[in-house]
Amino acid sequence: MAAKTTMRTSALGARAAGYLFIVPPVIYLGVFMFWPLARQMWMSLTNTTLARPNDGVFVGLANYARLLETPAFYASLRITVVYASLAVLLGVTLGVVSALAINRPFRGRAVVRGILLFGWAVPNVAAALIWLWMFNERSGVFNKMLLGMGFSRLRWLTSIDWSLPSILIVTVWQVAPFVMLVTLAALQSVPEEVREAARVDGADPLNVFRNVTWPHILPSVQLAALLVAVWSIRRFDIIYLLTGGGPLGSTSTLVVKIRQTAFEAHELGIASAYGAVGLLLALLVAGIHNLVDRRRMRWVAER
Amino acid sequence: MSALSLILGFLRAILVLVLVAVAGFPIYWMATTAFSDPGQLYASGQVPWPQPQYFGALVAELEGLPVGRWMLNTLFVATGTTVVSLLLGSLAGYALSRFRFHGRGVVGFLLFMTQVVPEALILVPLYAMFVALGLLNNLLGLVLANAAFSLPVATFIVKGAIDAIPYEIEESALIDNCPRIGVLTMIVLPLIAPSLAAAAVIAFFAGWNEYLFASTFLMNRTLWPASVGLASFIGQYETPLSAVMGTALLFSLPAITFFLVIQRRIVSGLTSGAVKG
Amino acid sequence: MPELVLDTVAKTFGDTQVIRSLSATVEDGEFLVLLGPSGCGKSTLLRMIAGLTEITAGEIRFDGKRANDWSPRERDVAFVFQSYALYPHMTVRGNIAFPLVMDAFRPWHHLPLVNGWMRRRRMKDPAIAARTDAIARQLELDPLIDRRPAGLSGGQRQRVALARALIRDPSIYLLDEPLSNLDARLRMQMRAEISSLHHKVGKTFVYVTHDQVEAMTMATRIIVLDKGEVQQIGTPDEIYHAPANTFVARFVGSPSMNLLTVDGEGAQLRISPSLSFAHGEAAPRAGRLVFGIRPEKLELRPPGEGPLPAEVVVVESLGAEIVVGCRLQAGGTRDHLIDHDLVFVRRPGNERPALGSPCSLSFAAGDVVWFDAVTGLRLKP
Repeated sequence: MAAKTTMRTSALGARAAGYLFIVPPVIYLGVFMFWPLARQMWMSLTNTTLARPNDGVFVGLANYARLLETPAFYASLRITVVYASLAVLLGVTLGVVSALAINRPFRGRAVVRGILLFGWAVPNVAAALIWLWMFNERSGVFNKMLLGMGFSRLRWLTSIDWSLPSILIVTVWQVAPFVMLVTLAALQSVPEEVREAARVDGADPLNVFRNVTWPHILPSVQLAALLVAVWSIRRFDIIYLLTGGGPLGSTSTLVVKIRQTAFEAHELGIASAYGAVGLLLALLVAGIHNLVDRRRMRWVAER
Repeated sequence: MSALSLILGFLRAILVLVLVAVAGFPIYWMATTAFSDPGQLYASGQVPWPQPQYFGALVAELEGLPVGRWMLNTLFVATGTTVVSLLLGSLAGYALSRFRFHGRGVVGFLLFMTQVVPEALILVPLYAMFVALGLLNNLLGLVLANAAFSLPVATFIVKGAIDAIPYEIEESALIDNCPRIGVLTMIVLPLIAPSLAAAAVIAFFAGWNEYLFASTFLMNRTLWPASVGLASFIGQYETPLSAVMGTALLFSLPAITFFLVIQRRIVSGLTSGAVKG
Repeated sequence: MPELVLDTVAKTFGDTQVIRSLSATVEDGEFLVLLGPSGCGKSTLLRMIAGLTEITAGEIRFDGKRANDWSPRERDVAFVFQSYALYPHMTVRGNIAFPLVMDAFRPWHHLPLVNGWMRRRRMKDPAIAARTDAIARQLELDPLIDRRPAGLSGGQRQRVALARALIRDPSIYLLDEPLSNLDARLRMQMRAEISSLHHKVGKTFVYVTHDQVEAMTMATRIIVLDKGEVQQIGTPDEIYHAPANTFVARFVGSPSMNLLTVDGEGAQLRISPSLSFAHGEAAPRAGRLVFGIRPEKLELRPPGEGPLPAEVVVVESLGAEIVVGCRLQAGGTRDHLIDHDLVFVRRPGNERPALGSPCSLSFAAGDVVWFDAVTGLRLKP
């Protein structure tokens, strides 16, 4: 057999031509992504305000020190972590369960699959509007149902106890379909021969799932979990439109805090510090994922 | 068939029904609300199915709103976002897949970084930059900001798709006298058309759905895309709820349609025939 | 017309030296086969000729002009890939006509829309269409002309790849293991077709393979490569009958040449302390040597009649001929079996000797090929 052509062996990938292709996108990202990001990070070390955005004075880590003295910061951090973890836990569970439920062909599967994807496909703002209406305290369909069943009304979005769970319901409705799609794709690629071999070896359906299917789809599920986690940390639209971070800050994740602090309290320095913490959190999640991934690769390689 | 698998099959059927009901209900309710008597919604109670006889009333209500204008703005922003991110994403994806150059690792890391940066985090500096560049209150500025976030996604998709194409096909084109850029435009890009379509739909609807930048950078009501227009209904009661839901439905339908269509197109083994595995 | 010269060409990837200082001349119109085991650098060499892989050191000359930095198109070569590398999104016609369409390509055709329009127009160009049809007919592809590669069988894809090479009428055809993805029957058929193609077009073919049968049947000249170095350059006959060293002797021929390490003492050759045999003539020199003989030059005789006592261990019948694997025996007793590779004998017919039966082997002194035991090089008689 001839050696397979690789980037190393082909004269296709000459160095100079590579720059020609990569430089325009890199410049673009530099201008519209990394320069603003760098400025924002710098701002977190100054006392810039919205009124005088260019007159910030360097204050070192004072903003972060102030953050650490503010109970609202800890609350926001806690809300972010709780919100993201539950979104991952519930979203991934529901997504994987849905995928397993519709993995086998049956009549009307395409339609079912389409309907299950609704939450993922609907734009955030439209989703916010319909959920606001369904959650409506006086005339919303959920409270109508509760009343019909003899319960009393719930203040879905306006009570401290229920606001975060309500937001989570919407979030899971949105992310579970994505997890389902990823899992379905992974399920399609489970080698049928290995499954059959396991069956021949006397494994019952649950054993086949545990020993063949699950290990095969795990990396995909894990990747989906990472994405859901990062998106939850980044998510702004839905939370802002449904509750605006309230009531009493009970749904104020770090990202919602950025905008509140910047445009309502006008303190750009503090807002940037909130953002830095959010970014750090997202990077942390991604880092953990990479670590787990590499561990597994090594484990697979060593066997 | 064993009893166990019969029971499992039955449970599965019930599970599927429940999932469909839960996932589909909000959209059903959106349609139901849109096609109903706006007067009834708050007062007596909602009829739990869509009533086609209110279609005329809905159209009349929508005509009173700048829905067409908003949709056009949305269309412009979404198209612009798609064009910019696909153009640049194809270049970056091709370069990352095929060329060895200094800083490949760095570029890869930067692209990864963009996926964890919250939009809200660069909002203020972008705002300041757009003030300076005169891009504030300008749909073009919105396009540029959106594309910065969808460009990396397009890059990943394009790179992944090109990675799957054997080098030999490109080398073959070079031998057949195809110019260097032609290899990209005539061989590689057509080959990854399904992936490009997927990337295009993703970028298009990232632009279509975007709210935070649009609500911050655009002050003029006539420049608003539909996302901002829709959000402006929240907390105000002059617009009948049926019209609000009608607009939301109009706004959602293209997104739903396209997302449902491409979930199939992503998986397409066009290359499988050309090279024996 | 063109003469292709490789002058001390070398290639390194990082720390690995794939080809070390290789020189050869490819003459006009010949069918040159690069033969060697996998990893010997033969594909890399072919890619260097095509301009697909850069040359680390040395020089490649087309008609005396240094061509190291020429692009593939400037070299006027056609390349048939092992994987065929067809364009999956084009029909058979599109694939075959592509080189001609590209020859007519102008920079402004890069503009979007113009590009597709112009390529469609070119395909309809009478000259191009006629030539495409002619080539397709020649390779019996005309019924498949509007299909895409995904709808073709392996043999049909192979033909499309050949057609795409043919249409440009290049000065050199480069083929990289083009038959390795085909089944045995098709491989034989395509072998004959490629050979007749070579006769018809009369251009230079450089053909890479690890299959010595392909090399022997198709080549006018063979370069045997191993570990990035030329082992021998010669016609198939020379390679077969006068291998330059033990590597070539072992690599070419199936079963390969029998090689025995012996100590020569005049006409007496000692294989082991207990086994020595008489050779018709004196060995080319005294001392340790490698004695080589082709299986078909050995004769299977009843015990005692030939100089080499042996025992039948393996019998493979191939229908028209039979291959017998023997183990040499010391002193005619079974207890002193000599630890040695099997010695193979090939003979026509299908008369099968019994397994385990004693026998002896004889040979003509003139058929023996001698090698140096240390360097492995052939000793000139």
